[in-house]
Amino acid sequence: MPIHEKSLIRPENLQVHEKLEVEGVDVSGHWSTFIESRVVTDYNEAMEDEIAALPGGEYIHRCWQCGSCTNSCTVHALNPDFNPRYWIYLIRMGMESELLRDKEIIWQCVSCNKCTYACPRDVVPEGVMKATSHWLELKGHTPKSHSMIFDEIFSEQVFKTGKIEDGRTVRRFFKRTGQALRQPWLEEMVKRLLRNLPIGMLTRMGMANFITPKTKGWSGARDAIEEYVAEQESHHRQALRLDDLVEAARKEL
Amino acid sequence: MAKPILIVGGGPAGLAAAHSLATFGQACILVDKEDRLGGAPILEGYAKLVPSGEWAKDAIGGMVDRVAEHELVDVRKETKVTEFSGEAGDFTAVLSSGDSVGVSAAILCTGFSHFDSANKPEWGFGTFPDVVTTSQVEQMISSGQGVRCPSDGRKPQRVAILLCVGSRDRQIGREWCSKICCTVSANMAMEIREELPDCHVYIYYMDIRTYGLYETKYYWKSQEEFKVKYIKARIAEVTSDGEKLIVKGEDTLVKRPITIPFDLVVHAIGMDPNVDNPDISAIFGVDLETHGYIDKASSYSATGLTNKNGVFVAGAAIGPETIDDSIAQGKAAAMAVLEQRQLAARLVS
Ligand SMILES: Cc1cc2nc3c(=O)[nH]c(=O)nc-3n(C[C@H](O)[C@H](O)[C@H](O)COP(=O)(O)OP(=O)(O)OC[C@H]3O[C@@H](n4cnc5c(N)ncnc54)[C@H](O)[C@@H]3O)c2cc1C
Ligand code: SF4
Ligand code: SF4
Ligand code: SF4
Repeated sequence: MPIHEKSLIRPENLQVHEKLEVEGVDVSGHWSTFIESRVVTDYNEAMEDEIAALPGGEYIHRCWQCGSCTNSCTVHALNPDFNPRYWIYLIRMGMESELLRDKEIIWQCVSCNKCTYACPRDVVPEGVMKATSHWLELKGHTPKSHSMIFDEIFSEQVFKTGKIEDGRTVRRFFKRTGQALRQPWLEEMVKRLLRNLPIGMLTRMGMANFITPKTKGWSGARDAIEEYVAEQESHHRQALRLDDLVEAARKEL
Repeated sequence: MAKPILIVGGGPAGLAAAHSLATFGQACILVDKEDRLGGAPILEGYAKLVPSGEWAKDAIGGMVDRVAEHELVDVRKETKVTEFSGEAGDFTAVLSSGDSVGVSAAILCTGFSHFDSANKPEWGFGTFPDVVTTSQVEQMISSGQGVRCPSDGRKPQRVAILLCVGSRDRQIGREWCSKICCTVSANMAMEIREELPDCHVYIYYMDIRTYGLYETKYYWKSQEEFKVKYIKARIAEVTSDGEKLIVKGEDTLVKRPITIPFDLVVHAIGMDPNVDNPDISAIFGVDLETHGYIDKASSYSATGLTNKNGVFVAGAAIGPETIDDSIAQGKAAAMAVLEQRQLAARLVS
């Protein structure tokens, strides 16, 4: 019998006997297919601590699996596989391989915080989702998400100048995410801006693209922010033992 | 002078009853089959008690001392009652020492028996030395030795506590909930994490019954402050791969079979009816309820009544009870005895 949704089954769990006869009936080939059950054979005890070390993940250990977050979740309503309650459990118990199976959907959280208001234990599931996406990226399980790239471009600019310039942000975002700058919706937006905004404002916006205005006396603030960010990043690298991972990978090469 | 009251069993319930009666000038005879008073908390060497956090040997030890020192309490250790005859106000009890005593009433405070984990062989107790009971872990803590694997004395890095061992299990004829083991286990998990911060503790449960105020102090605290992990699964089997214990079951929240290695597996054993109950029932003429505990009448007219006039009951003898409730019941039964004496005296005059 052919198996539907074969893509959901891990190849190593599929067993097919080339030649098999059961009670006189030939069940060779796909007739003898069976699926081994997926057994969890160990807990990765570091996982909960690692995610708790990232911003937003601090309260994950409070969860008692009531399901209020999943029930209230915006994305869950559209995709039943999007289940914060379940992922929190996998993380807490350290079922890493099970979590990684869902790495392609975890980042889809839209940060609406409905879950945060529903949670009776103040877990702040929205934060946990953010920390989990971050963890998946830092560990190299998923590429940087677009929203992460956007945040980075945004922050880079603010750190540097104390100001944010929309045109530059958009251009860099499209470049770094490998998207064409000529998006029909964007062209339409620019057209309408040109048509409707007062000329003085348009001129200022246009100039900002060339002269990069700065907030006065920003360098002190910039240094402080950059120091703080570097501190946090090194703290996260340490918590996730990223340098050990890199070292181990290097040795293997 | 009124005849003494017989109290059978010197655990928390019996000690509380004896102290109350003696305080009101009522002489009592306190018999216990063991060579020490104090009941389960002392005999089994419990560590810190729930919910006071006081060491059992101090808290219950204090109760023992004030009773043992009281001139109106006649303590008979290593003694059982072998015969009991007469009627309310005028009973005769024959003791295993051969003595015969006249008493006006009796309070049965004979408590419970610990479930013997050997009756659940699939969970490895008796087969693997590192499968132990909550009583044993209590002793490891109270003796000051600390929580260690009995096989080689090493500090465990991962501990599983299996709840409802010998409770809520129709297979072995025990349908009751032992009431206190969830809370005791949550407390124990915190004690283990405190002593061994690198040791992870997992509690395998069917339901968590840390009822009332225990919710905050034990269930929430164990997770929020001590990061104890709760897994909804009834373990099917505990085996060994020669090095570690292997706990097998189904994690029902992920619908996935699990086979997880552990260093130490703890059975949260339940409270069985006292193994002496059939004898006690025959000697004192009291009924047992369906599970085998002593049957208590309703409480509306007086507390601790049995079907037999003049024989009262208190504590874990009537079903799984906490220490605080056993003490309250012991005092309530003492009060019921005094009330009855007062009523009788008024009828006579
Ligand atoms: C592992 C474990 C940990 C626990 N920890 C806690 C805790 O932290 N806090 C809490 O509130 N509760 C705890 N409990 C429950 C607690 O043990 C009971 O609530 C308490 O012991 C009941 O007191 P009792 O006096 O009714 O009975 P028992 O303590 O059982 O005392 C009965 C006494 O009667 C004697 N006796 C029995 N039969 C006879 C007989 N035929 N003749 C003469 N004497 C007899 C016994 O020797 C014993 O001294 C725990 C239970 C377990 C199993
Ligand atoms: S914040 Fe994310 S996880 Fe929470 S309800 Fe919204 S989409 Fe769902
Ligand atoms: S609502 Fe809160 S406690 Fe309930 S499952 Fe979600 S995170 Fe856990
Ligand atoms: S108190 Fe908890 S562990 Fe004990 S029998 Fe009841 S549910 Fe099971």
